[in-house]
Amino acid sequence: MMSLFVQVLISGLAIGAIYALIATGFSLLSQGSQTVNFAQGDFVVVPAFVMLAANSYGLPIWASFIVALVVAALVLGVLFKRLMVDPILPHGAMQLSIATMALSIVLQNGMLNAGGAQAFPFPGINGGLHFGNIFIDWQSVSILLAAVVAVTALNLFMGRTRIGRAIQASAQGPQVARLLGINVARMVLITFVLNAALVTLAALLVSPIYLVKFDNGIGIGLAAFSAAIIGGFNQVRGAVVGGLLLGVVQNFAATFGPTQYRDAVPMLLLIIFILFRPQGLLGRAEERRV
Amino acid sequence: MATDTNSPVLMMEGVVGGYGRMTILNGLSFSVARATITTIIGPNGAGKSTAFKAIFGLLNLSAGRIILEGKDVRGFSPAALIGEGVCYVPQGRNIFPELSVHDNLELGGVALGTTKAMRSRVEEALDRFPILRQKARAQASTLSGGQQKLLEIARGLIARPKLMLIDEPSIGLSPLMVKDVFATLQRLRDQGVSILMVEQNARSALEISDNGIVLETGRTRLVGTAQSILNDPRIAKLFLGAEVDLETPASP
Repeated sequence: MMSLFVQVLISGLAIGAIYALIATGFSLLSQGSQTVNFAQGDFVVVPAFVMLAANSYGLPIWASFIVALVVAALVLGVLFKRLMVDPILPHGAMQLSIATMALSIVLQNGMLNAGGAQAFPFPGINGGLHFGNIFIDWQSVSILLAAVVAVTALNLFMGRTRIGRAIQASAQGPQVARLLGINVARMVLITFVLNAALVTLAALLVSPIYLVKFDNGIGIGLAAFSAAIIGGFNQVRGAVVGGLLLGVVQNFAATFGPTQYRDAVPMLLLIIFILFRPQGLLGRAEERRV
Repeated sequence: MATDTNSPVLMMEGVVGGYGRMTILNGLSFSVARATITTIIGPNGAGKSTAFKAIFGLLNLSAGRIILEGKDVRGFSPAALIGEGVCYVPQGRNIFPELSVHDNLELGGVALGTTKAMRSRVEEALDRFPILRQKARAQASTLSGGQQKLLEIARGLIARPKLMLIDEPSIGLSPLMVKDVFATLQRLRDQGVSILMVEQNARSALEISDNGIVLETGRTRLVGTAQSILNDPRIAKLFLGAEVDLETPASP
């Protein structure tokens, strides 16, 4: 029983770490440009297909990852901002959110038409390590490691570098940031590119587990959205904590409860949080002025 | 490079501009002497804050020149103006609430680019404002209103400005804190920074100022030493009354 508990915990943390990456990108975008991206889940599936395609042309998976990184930075970062966010955001954040829902549908159907409805296998890491009767698989370990490295690197970048601080400043007070001579538009663009990098890494990590399927984005996006809210909306640290918590709870629920309710867990957790702690784990309750 | 210490640090010459089709500044002209505090007073809508926006490159101007140390800086971007030695502390709260006091300060030099030199300047700023050093690692949102205003001033100083534009620094502060902020401005002036201030609290502002400018409908109505403006009975009646009388229209 103990061994099962540890295994479920570790694989839960692993999937949670992936949610954390996606939720972090989600929070970055909403902080940096009031973009609540409902296509975030599909943003994970796009680079997964790019990697599969590059891989099928004979590129090793690491090289395919780099190709996907470049494509994602251009398409999901720069083009998404220039062609969708920039023209629509002036009309309102709500309008943009709805437009991203439409984008989600377009992306899913695009991938369905291009790739088909089947789930494609994705190369992963096999094997693992036995500690007595506890089995720890390399896949989970490498996911956790990669996510920890990515989140740490992102935190260092945001907190310790000039550009990172300028990005935070642009998100917290764009007007003041401009007065200090910060190129706010460029900082926002960097945020979009960072999000593209995060979803590409998430694609590399999640695809061996969930395989690559055109509509995977629905569940992944919902989980990331919930993780961001649970952690405390607009909090990068919150997104990490929310992602891990969600991954673990979801994995336990799926192991010890009926599997078909796996995707209901994020919603359930989300409802519980909205009812009892709407500011999330790390968020602060906002004052409402009348 | 020797600069003439008698020449003004800033000269506005016939500046015309506003928002969209609405012209606020109607040929505004004045100058700011080196290492002085100059306070702009005037009724609401006279163009006081707008003048700051004009200087700091945030307004489209249709005419006039803005001469900073002999150089026309009209149309310069905020980043370029910071490079030229101007800093702007707008009214209200302008800190980055979730960043630490230290990081807020460091952002004051972000337009200048060099990170290493900034570190020592941040240290200098923390030496100058002990209260900020005490809270250097705290989130800026945890500072009191007055401390936040000091943080904004300190942040502006990181770029080593020759001219500081400070808009309504006393708004929302306790009288004690206002005193503290004003004392800080006087200290800066004594260290050679020229300060141009807009202040509703006109009497107290003029009391710590060297010069005063009275604006009305986007034009300079009167310039003089702060003392002479304080002593001018007409100005006292119009702008320096102990009570704010909203019913009295500003007479020409």
